[in-house]
Amino acid sequence: MGASLGTGDKKSVNVELNIVPFIDLMSCLTAFLLVTAVWVNIAQINIQPKGKTRDTQNVDQDTDVVRLSVLIQSDKIWIGLSRVNEFQEIPNKGDEKDWDKFESTLKDEKASSFFQDDNDPNSHRIEIAAESTSAAVVQYQDLIHAMDIAVKLKFDDVGLTDPAGLSARPSL
Amino acid sequence: MPVHIAGPRLYKSVKFRHLVKKSGSTSGARASNISLNLTPFVDMMTILVTFLLMVFKADGTLLQAQAGLELPMASSQQALQTAPVIIVTKNEISYEGQHVASTDEVLRDDSPTFKIDALYERLDSAAQKIKKQVAEGAIPKNLQDGCEKAKQNLRPEPGSFCPDGLAILQADKETDARLINKIVNTAKAAGFDNLLFAIKNK
Repeated sequence: MGASLGTGDKKSVNVELNIVPFIDLMSCLTAFLLVTAVWVNIAQINIQPKGKTRDTQNVDQDTDVVRLSVLIQSDKIWIGLSRVNEFQEIPNKGDEKDWDKFESTLKDEKASSFFQDDNDPNSHRIEIAAESTSAAVVQYQDLIHAMDIAVKLKFDDVGLTDPAGLSARPSL
Repeated sequence: MPVHIAGPRLYKSVKFRHLVKKSGSTSGARASNISLNLTPFVDMMTILVTFLLMVFKADGTLLQAQAGLELPMASSQQALQTAPVIIVTKNEISYEGQHVASTDEVLRDDSPTFKIDALYERLDSAAQKIKKQVAEGAIPKNLQDGCEKAKQNLRPEPGSFCPDGLAILQADKETDARLINKIVNTAKAAGFDNLLFAIKNK
């Protein structure tokens, strides 16, 4: 980058920098970065297909362990505990799912004696299923929202299953 | 139309005095050099380059944008890793960019096998190919470590899951959960028992 001292006047102390190469470099860099920029941040939620599916008949034999099961329906969410067979119903708030109540209920379950030991792999497990019909559709976004809340509350071993494959399923 | 003699022109009749330098070698009545103030331009470029450098990601894009597909929102920050991609838009299911079935057709089908046969065939052959690659050790070191951890029932770090049985599901947020169940069952039956659900960060 060139620099010229003064402008012909002997007393002048002004320095003129040649900024043309700098502007050239910046323009190239800007063009390159604009072309290669990623504007949407995409992440992932990791799940394992679990439970007794109609196809695989993969029945979990480990029945001594209490499992936390979530069943999402179009008008409500059920949270159930296997073995003890306790169920909590979270009805929709208006047209939307009551995600705040769902989160607080899961938080309470996480604090319970069944799931509070973080060193126990079973305390991180949760099963989620969605019961969708052509008349009452459950959207994928609801499934993701439930999984996201579960992962946030350290139920990070998420198992996705059929409604019939849940360890604890409310009798409807 | 008659031809007129040209009227007043810039730098000739109309003096652009405020742009003309008056000092140094360019001074004088005949000076025609213009000095543009480049400082705001350089400032703007610097800010733009700084911003773009901050949002720049060197790991590239693993997923391609699809027409009629809007990913669901979630707060998870775990990065995706390379794996076969099952795409579910509002109208069709595709695997690695190739059409597999239409969503209406799959939702109508209530067969007792509870899986999508066309998707199963493709996933099954892909699973065998990946299994062979993993067995031959033709995968990066961090993924080999992920496979070792998986054998010991340990959970690998996000981004280093064992490629054996790993697939990405890129589905539209309004997709019917029945379709997701069918795809998950199909993937599981084909040996893909570890799925990454692609989401958009909140």
